[in-house]
Amino acid sequence: MLCVRTHTRRCGFFILAVSIACAGPQGRPGLRDQTGAIVPSGPATRIISLAPDVTELAFAVGAGARLVAAPATADYPPQASHLRRVDPGDLESVVALRPDLVLATTAGNDFRFVARARALGLAVCCTDVTSFARLAEACRLVAAVVGCEPRGTQLAAELGARVAALERASAALPRRAALYVAWWEPLIVASPGTFHDDLLLRAGLANVAPGSGGRYPRLDPETLLDSRLEVVVVPDEPDMRDGFTRLLSTTAGSRLRARALRTIWLPADAANRPGPRLVDALAALVLAREREP
Amino acid sequence: MRRGADALLVAALVGAVLAALLWGGSALSGSDVLRVLAGGGPPEARTIVFGLRLPRIVLALLVGASLALAGAALQALLSNPLADPFLLGISGGGAAASTLAVVLLPPLAIALVPAAALAGAALATAMVWWLARGPLGPSPTRMILAGVAVNAATSAVILAVLAMASSPRLPGALAVTMGSFASASTEAVAWLVPYILLPAALLLHHGRDLGLLATGEESAAALGVDVGVVRRRVFLAAAMLCAGAVAFAGVIGFVGLVTPHICRLVFGQQPRRVLPRAALAGAALTVLGDLVARRALAPVELPVGVVTAVLGVPFFVVLLRRSS
Repeated sequence: MLCVRTHTRRCGFFILAVSIACAGPQGRPGLRDQTGAIVPSGPATRIISLAPDVTELAFAVGAGARLVAAPATADYPPQASHLRRVDPGDLESVVALRPDLVLATTAGNDFRFVARARALGLAVCCTDVTSFARLAEACRLVAAVVGCEPRGTQLAAELGARVAALERASAALPRRAALYVAWWEPLIVASPGTFHDDLLLRAGLANVAPGSGGRYPRLDPETLLDSRLEVVVVPDEPDMRDGFTRLLSTTAGSRLRARALRTIWLPADAANRPGPRLVDALAALVLAREREP
Repeated sequence: MRRGADALLVAALVGAVLAALLWGGSALSGSDVLRVLAGGGPPEARTIVFGLRLPRIVLALLVGASLALAGAALQALLSNPLADPFLLGISGGGAAASTLAVVLLPPLAIALVPAAALAGAALATAMVWWLARGPLGPSPTRMILAGVAVNAATSAVILAVLAMASSPRLPGALAVTMGSFASASTEAVAWLVPYILLPAALLLHHGRDLGLLATGEESAAALGVDVGVVRRRVFLAAAMLCAGAVAFAGVIGFVGLVTPHICRLVFGQQPRRVLPRAALAGAALTVLGDLVARRALAPVELPVGVVTAVLGVPFFVVLLRRSS
């Protein structure tokens, strides 16, 4: 009991310390973001997020209260739904909101837009999450640019610990050949070097997608008939369910129909957004694998 | 009649520019823009007007004028009403190189995309010229055929690149193929102005020669036109204009094809008369097209090429029906 109280008190002090550290606008040092560009130093009191994953990151590191706008798709955490909406392709609207920091991501934002925003003098921090290690780095980076380094370090450590625990759990599972399906018609999958590839890897799955053809190559549907392929991992959203239903009635979907090829559905937002909830997607994947027949 | 049409053309151009300046985006109202132009307004409003809207309008003016001027010159040179930068594969070469650069270059090298487009258009031009060579020099028919072949090749390159583009790069690559002024900046305008001045001046200079060429090569030569030199200069100047347009705005269709036709219907067949007016009309059509592209489904932006076609084709059809 005493131990629990002491732990609770320590946590309380830590949260207090983090809150104080993130309490107000602070000058940020000039840092390089994950695309290699320098984020100019300055305060971060009016932050605009251009994508759902960086919105989640901003909230997770304690800068949610300083977000002034986010795209309509940014719906997590629930407070994000109350933010003013901004079109991530409308630079005039972004400038009109007078941001002192813009958070962007390579997972969805047009890099020419980011370049134009920088050319106009806006401070832009762009994340490029291609693995869980890069996700931890993105947590520390975003925390640093908004002046909440301790929370960023803590968040990165928490995520790292969860990933390590899930990896240990998946190490006991048989290694299976898998694909992460981003779209059914046409068949688009995640290639090596993407955060989805790392998701499969950490869950004990071997991504059999080709390394060529970009981050998300289009494959021949016959790939689904390859007997070596054992698992397909899919984000659970209505369009993907509809595509799956249509595919089941085709020849290419015969192994899926016969359940010779296992389908694992993951919570779509967690799996599709390279933000802090990507670890939840990993947990769901490992759990689904543990329940394998 | 023609003087009235000239006045109407200038009024259309000025009107298009003012409309684009006042209502070109959703972030500022027309009165906000007027306040900025009068020297007032908050800093962010000045950034929007001078950093975003004005460069975008100027770029649209330059690109529209370049495409229309090049189209008018090529149609006169090749005596083919279908000749335009797209049919000859010049725009395709620039677009193929642009999409390749957008997909392959690292983010910090984005500034090199226009250079790649210029190189691609130059390569396509050289290929068309080389393929069109015959015993008596490049003929108009061979040029069109060579253009079709080069166009097919560049389309294949673009499709292959789009199929393999990673998702963060796809919007940029698609923007090249559909045309967009979203990347307009003062720097882009500063690059483009000197690049198009020389070829534009060259085409306007050869307006009379193009008119004589339309009467036949032999009679033109008899009247002192160096047919080979004029043909080479006009073709290369038109190619340079198209390359510059594709480099900074992607592929914008119909301006180079439709505008010269409209101008010939209104101002007559003489290239000397048509060329400068086609440039003005192309500029007006493109600025208006960009305004509609931004406002029709705001904040979603339509491809400019779609809008220029929607605006230009019905006007073209009406004029064609009236003249017939």
